[in-house]
Amino acid sequence: MVSDPYLGKYTTCVSARSTDKEILQKAQDGGIATTLMVYALEQGIIDGAIVAGKGDRPWQPRPFIAMSREDILKARGTKYNISPQISLLKEATRSFGLDKVGITGVCCQMQAVRKAQLYPVNMRDVPGKIALAVGLFCMENFPYKSMQCIVEDHAGQSLHSVKKMEIGKGKYWIYTERGNVVTLPLKVTHKYEQPGCHVCLDYVSNLGDISTGSVGSPDGWSTVFVRTKVGNDVWSKAVASGMFETKPIEGVKPGLELVTKLAKEKIDKNRATVEGRKTFGVNKALRDPYA
Amino acid sequence: MSKVVEISPTTRHEGHSKLTLKVNDQGIIERGDWLSITPVRGVEKLAIGKTMDQVPKIASRVCGICPIAHCLAGIEAMEASVGCEIPTDAKLLRVILHAANRLHSIALHNILILPDFYIPGTETKINPFTKEQPVRSVAARIIRIREIGQSIGMIAGGEAVHPSNPRVGGMYRNVSPRARQKMYDLAREGLVLAREQMEFMIAVIRNMQNREFTDVAGKKIPIPKTLGYHSQGVMATSPMYGSSSLDEKPTWDIARWKETRPWDWYMGEVTIDLEDPSYPVGGTTKVGTKANPQMEACTGVPTMDGQPVEVGPRARLATFKHFDEKGTFAQHVARQLEYPDCLYSILKCLDALDTSGKVLADPIPQGDGSLGWAANEAPRGTDVHLARVKDGRVLWYEMLVPTTWNLPTCSRGLTGAPWQIAEMVVRAYDPCVSCATHMIVVDQENRLVAQKLI
Ligand SMILES: Cc1cc2nc3c(=O)[nH]c(=O)nc-3n(C[C@H](O)[C@H](O)[C@H](O)COP(=O)(O)OP(=O)(O)OC[C@H]3O[C@@H](n4cnc5c(N)ncnc54)[C@H](O)[C@@H]3O)c2cc1C
Ligand code: SF4
Repeated sequence: MVSDPYLGKYTTCVSARSTDKEILQKAQDGGIATTLMVYALEQGIIDGAIVAGKGDRPWQPRPFIAMSREDILKARGTKYNISPQISLLKEATRSFGLDKVGITGVCCQMQAVRKAQLYPVNMRDVPGKIALAVGLFCMENFPYKSMQCIVEDHAGQSLHSVKKMEIGKGKYWIYTERGNVVTLPLKVTHKYEQPGCHVCLDYVSNLGDISTGSVGSPDGWSTVFVRTKVGNDVWSKAVASGMFETKPIEGVKPGLELVTKLAKEKIDKNRATVEGRKTFGVNKALRDPYA
Repeated sequence: MSKVVEISPTTRHEGHSKLTLKVNDQGIIERGDWLSITPVRGVEKLAIGKTMDQVPKIASRVCGICPIAHCLAGIEAMEASVGCEIPTDAKLLRVILHAANRLHSIALHNILILPDFYIPGTETKINPFTKEQPVRSVAARIIRIREIGQSIGMIAGGEAVHPSNPRVGGMYRNVSPRARQKMYDLAREGLVLAREQMEFMIAVIRNMQNREFTDVAGKKIPIPKTLGYHSQGVMATSPMYGSSSLDEKPTWDIARWKETRPWDWYMGEVTIDLEDPSYPVGGTTKVGTKANPQMEACTGVPTMDGQPVEVGPRARLATFKHFDEKGTFAQHVARQLEYPDCLYSILKCLDALDTSGKVLADPIPQGDGSLGWAANEAPRGTDVHLARVKDGRVLWYEMLVPTTWNLPTCSRGLTGAPWQIAEMVVRAYDPCVSCATHMIVVDQENRLVAQKLI
């Protein structure tokens, strides 16, 4: 078990890609999140998964409980605005009748899952029913209007024509169906981030059973941290049954070095914000979310 | 010469209550008063001005044993006031939730009463927490039945204790096909266990009924054949679910109901002059203590046709199923007979449930201040809620909960019992006292007369 101040605890870190061509067609990166949930569902490790599906407006996610491969595939791709995954956590065990819940979500959502398990206030009977939590790396997220503003006003594209969005290599990338590619420097998008993200001290979903993101691996591949016993079980079985191709993280570029660098940047900056809040305001500090 | 003995608080039931008992030289109760001493909750006052959606949720917080009954009666009283019919599938989910709650409540009550009873054929009273067989497996079965009831309730109602899914107009969500199947599987398992448990309990109850004596604190106390008999009537609105003023043929008649004051039914000031320090647990109230049931009773006394009535399983079976036994043991037997009914109701509703059916009325009327009521057959009896809603806000709200009906009736049923087993009479009502304590009592001129109690 490796324990890193920025990358959290993990037993294994690899670069990986799904072997499922259909999943890869629309996956954000290596299709890890989707493939893991499909595998877990088919193996009976989970009864269903909370994933970020389609909402009412273009590129607006809405969490839903996927109970089939087909449904899990509907959630492929990153939507850069808030999908309140935790809002379905309890409901999954209620009117959906799940006993083994799978959930994908960003770092703060993994924290919420674990908090629900540790202090199940208003989460009666939920703790024992969480069977697999797959966390995503996350630098920041945006409210819907912010994302709309970035795409429509800054990039000059209409949201329904967008095929994919991505944050990488220091830029916000927008790809449209007709082939337009617009990049915006993150300097432009920073002010649209949701303020909560500025006190977030986790970059690589330290509390997921497995966590994954693009950073560190080549395009089309994902970096994967296996963190818990549950995660290890699922991951090793999935790899053994040929669901993923993997490469040692040491053998790929840019590798763990970049993940660590970005994690450090985010966490150090945000820790300074948390500190700064202590003296912000007149005689009245802002709340420290970790106090 | 009669003496007064007092058991305070009574134990192994929900809430706080006490027994003030006038007894003769043989210790037989000549007049008994069983009264709630739980402080007033004030839910009905709190309700005024709140939205019709909030109030049933608040009302369900009055207690943690039958909050489902309060939530459903509250919601349906609002629906009755505004005139809102709900979709069939919503109704089915409510009945499932309700029956699941009754199932777990009967099982819980088994645990509370078993220490009064003997293992048949022995002189050993039952300790439900012992590791020894056969009690150990009975306890395990009880726990599993409760778990099944609560799990079904949680799926249909959102929460096993204070349900989140029911709302004015129906339910927030229908359940998934998988959830329906899960409830079905649980109910099937529950049916087998509930039957076994019913048979076990009835054997234990009948064994006790046939005994001449029971042991209380090392003394042999005779068990009268008429234990718990009273000559008050019974009231029930349905064998399983309930009724409301929206029904074509409502089964509760508001015109027969009248709210009265505790001092028409309870004793005035008395001084305790009989004490038994060996009475479990911790002895009875000390000699010389004053008691004043008229002033201390934290309830009003609702009456039908001018008399208190009995509500609960025996009342339901007597009203709808020709059950003709009376008294404490009959109440216990009737409750066990409801075990399989709960599960058959659940299974029947699941068969009829369309998981893609709509569960919310549209539109939901907002009310013109008309009076509506709904009666829900809570585990321990008829729970009637009454409301007036105007423009979505509650103008007036009243809860006539099961134990409020039963407190004065049971008091009458105490006469003739040795005081040492008065608590057995009380426990047969499966009392749930917190919710019974909510009354603000007014006199004929509508003046508040029980302000001292509030
Ligand atoms: C807001 C956000 C910020 C991110 N920032 C980074 C980053 O800085 N660096 C990095 O390396 N990776 C980041 N990621 C992760 C990355 O974009 C991919 O989601 C991740 O690599 C998984 O790709 P995949 O091909 O395995 O997933 P896929 O198989 O494509 O599945 C995507 C999964 O993401 C979930 N998802 C999509 N949108 C959301 C959302 N808004 N909220 C919660 N869950 C969602 C879906 O439920 C689905 O399960 C971020 C993700 C999000 C949602
Ligand atoms: S940066 Fe942190 S707080 Fe913001 S969305 Fe990502 S994980 Fe959540």
